Amino acid sequence: MLDVGSACSLLIIHCSFIKNMKPPRFADRILQFFCAPHNLEEIQGDLYEEFQYQLLRVGERRAKWRYWRDVLGFVLSSALKKRPTEYSTTYLTNPIMLRNYFKIAFRNLVKNKTFSAVNMLGLALGLACSLMIMLWVQDERSVDGFHANKDQLYRIYMREYFSGKVQGVIWTPGPLAEELTKSIPEIQYATPYEWVSDQTFSVGTKVHKQATNSVGPDFFKMFSYKLLEGTAEAALKDRNGLAISRRMAELFFGSPEAAIGKPIRFDNRTDLRVTAVFENVPANSTLKFDCLRNWDAYVADGNDWAKGWGSTDPLTFFMLRADRNGVPADPAKVEAKIQHLLDKFNRDEGKPFRTELAMQPFHDYYLNSNIKDAHMDGGRIEYVRLFSFVAVFILLIACINFMNLATARSAKRAKEVGVRKVVGAMRAVLIGQFVGEAMLLTICSVFLAVLFVGLLLPSFNTLTGKQIELPIYGFSFWGVLVGLTFLTGLLAGSYPAFFLSSMQPIRVLKGSWKVDTQSTWFRQGLVVFQFSLSIILIVGMIIIYRQVEYVQTKNLGYDRENLVYFPVEGDLKKNYDVLKTELSQLPTVRQVSHMTASPASNGSGTEGISWAGSDPNDKVRFTPVGVGYDFVKTMNLKLVDGRDFSNAFPTDSTGFLINEAALKVMGFKHPIGQTITWGDKKGTIVGVLKDFHFQSLHTTIRPLIAYLREKRPDGNVLVRIKAGKTTEALAQLEAVCKKLNPDFPFTYQFTDQEYARQYQSEQVVSRLSNYFAFLAIFISCLGLFGLATFTAEQRTKEIGIRKVLGASVVSIVGLLSQKFLKPVAIAIVISSPVAWWAMNQWLQGFVYKTDIEWWIFALAGALAVLIALLTVSFQSIKAALMNPVKSLRSE
Amino acid sequence: MKRGYLGEFEEIVLLTVAVMEGGAYGVAVTHEIAEQTGRSVRLNQVHAALERLEDKGMLKSEMGEPTAERGGRRKRLFTTTAYGRRTLQEIQEVRESFWAKLLNPFRPATSL
Repeated sequence: MLDVGSACSLLIIHCSFIKNMKPPRFADRILQFFCAPHNLEEIQGDLYEEFQYQLLRVGERRAKWRYWRDVLGFVLSSALKKRPTEYSTTYLTNPIMLRNYFKIAFRNLVKNKTFSAVNMLGLALGLACSLMIMLWVQDERSVDGFHANKDQLYRIYMREYFSGKVQGVIWTPGPLAEELTKSIPEIQYATPYEWVSDQTFSVGTKVHKQATNSVGPDFFKMFSYKLLEGTAEAALKDRNGLAISRRMAELFFGSPEAAIGKPIRFDNRTDLRVTAVFENVPANSTLKFDCLRNWDAYVADGNDWAKGWGSTDPLTFFMLRADRNGVPADPAKVEAKIQHLLDKFNRDEGKPFRTELAMQPFHDYYLNSNIKDAHMDGGRIEYVRLFSFVAVFILLIACINFMNLATARSAKRAKEVGVRKVVGAMRAVLIGQFVGEAMLLTICSVFLAVLFVGLLLPSFNTLTGKQIELPIYGFSFWGVLVGLTFLTGLLAGSYPAFFLSSMQPIRVLKGSWKVDTQSTWFRQGLVVFQFSLSIILIVGMIIIYRQVEYVQTKNLGYDRENLVYFPVEGDLKKNYDVLKTELSQLPTVRQVSHMTASPASNGSGTEGISWAGSDPNDKVRFTPVGVGYDFVKTMNLKLVDGRDFSNAFPTDSTGFLINEAALKVMGFKHPIGQTITWGDKKGTIVGVLKDFHFQSLHTTIRPLIAYLREKRPDGNVLVRIKAGKTTEALAQLEAVCKKLNPDFPFTYQFTDQEYARQYQSEQVVSRLSNYFAFLAIFISCLGLFGLATFTAEQRTKEIGIRKVLGASVVSIVGLLSQKFLKPVAIAIVISSPVAWWAMNQWLQGFVYKTDIEWWIFALAGALAVLIALLTVSFQSIKAALMNPVKSLRSE
Repeated sequence: MKRGYLGEFEEIVLLTVAVMEGGAYGVAVTHEIAEQTGRSVRLNQVHAALERLEDKGMLKSEMGEPTAERGGRRKRLFTTTAYGRRTLQEIQEVRESFWAKLLNPFRPATSL
């Protein structure tokens, strides 16, 4: 018989140099971790011996490899099972202990009803608020996400370089889309996209205005608007074809099926045919329209400018070609190719200007629609970011409440912790218990929060103009909820858990344990943090409110009240003189005029204007507007110099009115009578208008040039009506229009309403910030209320003694309140600069803005102090009024 | 008394321990089995079998002396119990009675 063991040990003695070879350390660790302690020595010994043996037999590499294999064999086999011992170990998951944890948690909740309610309500409100914001942010981000080709869709914008400056332009030349598909192989489809306008359609006796746009024939192949009738190929192929929405089809024909192929009259002059019916454009689409016309038909319909490269108006979208595997072409390459595409068209007629093309992913367009330094940057994304921050802030405030109350009440549970430790609870077990308790409360709060959100969502939708639904069936929503529960539970429960579990049983049970100063400091710090966030939100609320108010009430340089306008269309174009005479005779009408744009927003531009002494290298974008007689009077504008157009001067047909901004650019000392050249037209300046805001307050007042367009009125008829007679005036206007222009429905707009519409997002933000600031301060105060209750309770005896010794109620209230005012005061100091900085950033988006004044901070601070005082004083007064006999009776 | 059931591998391990007469521990048993049967045996399989046999009361063990190549760790030395030895004997007897009943014993040339 051969004793292999002793044989190889002999060998090893001979080859002692090999002893330095150690088996792989990591494998050893794994073994030590998994192996039952009573087996470890024997198994590890065997493994070592085997390793030494194999080292001699097969070399180091393979010995190590075998060692690994053996270790894994042991780890996977049952040889490592722990031997049952006669002493029981405490498991966190022991069912009896679990039941005990639940019982204690429940008893604690029931015993301190106020605290539990405050805790749960605060947390639920915070969670509801965050959830709501999350839903909103998700909805904002999902806009335009429904297009199947969204990764291939891009938008073109232009960068114009002139005299050392660069400016971004979103309007593009008409022929650009066709040129893109022709000269860049990576681009599969491209389409121009005009600006939506309300056009009149009629079928039989049914006459309605519909939001109309013109696009290229491949539009439906690029964008995923679902076609109910017709094909993407044929929808916009025909010049007299029209793609209409389901709503429009139902309006005119009763159903989409009945609409297809039917004739429909456009603007009472052209007969079109319905070639496709698409599903109503969803709310989360940036492009919104009721019907689409063929682009070529649009160009042929009096839009000759769209054939040239000089004028710009439509947006241009394109789609990258994907290879056979569906991988789209490299956008960077395409961007490089399109950059100088326009050079060959000599857009700038030999002048030293340069226009480059740039592109932006289509789904970025909604959130990033501002042009900053010729790049697409910012826009709604700023609100998305702002509110994401607010959501985190409010959740944090709610979590801090929780932490604060839990640690404040730690004294009450100190004995429990002591006893648990004495009977053998380990620290990890205690931490688990307290975090679990926090988690339990969070779960309840989450359910409450979902309930709140479900109840508040309808009003939230009306406020924000969205159609958000609670995605109850969405898997990801529940995933987020679970994640949120864990995050909040951990965040809120971790500090109390660590704090409570660190108590020393001997001190706790002896009764010498007190809340140490460090934890008091920590709690005060949390209150400071909480109130800082609240004050920032209050300051934000005040400033946003003031800015919105400023915008609403700012003197725009013209009178936007009682100014009605309606489109010049149909027969009104040729009957304008009759219209004007008839309207002027109405008792409710003061003045009548017309202009090519709308009074509150005029975004058009031209660069082809020169004057005596103008720099040919400089490119100044003027805003042109064609107006009728009495324009100045109707708009209620002020003239700085000269006069309005008048039919007393026949030369006025070549005259110009400019505004102060234009005068500044031109630099004339005596502007009246100076000659201006615009394209091939020459004219003289007859008057200078005081600057007025014809665009939103986000932009500066641009140079304006007004020309007389009395012969072919276009755009809108302006009517200044008498104040307080709106209803009669509108009825009379409608009667006159119906008579002169029977084929078109009468639609009108109020200038002040249109003006306000430009600030819709600001108004929504203002109202939302009101609610959120209120919520933040409310949740903070809930926490403060809880803390005050606790302190008053703790100091009952002290207060009793003070009263016996002669302290007045006022001094006691002062004593108790003082403690809470200090953190609020510190919070004011900390938060003011932060709030100032943040709000200054926000106001940068406006050219015309309110000032941030010192009293705003004072007001916010005072508000915070006042609210904190009110919250605390309720408890303080209650404590101070207590009969000392009651509090001192028992000891 | 009902004989304790033994698997084939357990029987081999038990036999090996009996053969090694006091010098039986994990690695040694593994190597011995590998040598005698030509099987590739894994250390953890042997350990598992030894433990099972100890649970069944056919083996008993005690800790031996530490040695250097084991990194100063002790061996667990196994010896057979009376019950283990009897079980082995019974197996042997059962087999022998079957062999005796074999009418046509295999010719030595073809047997191993």
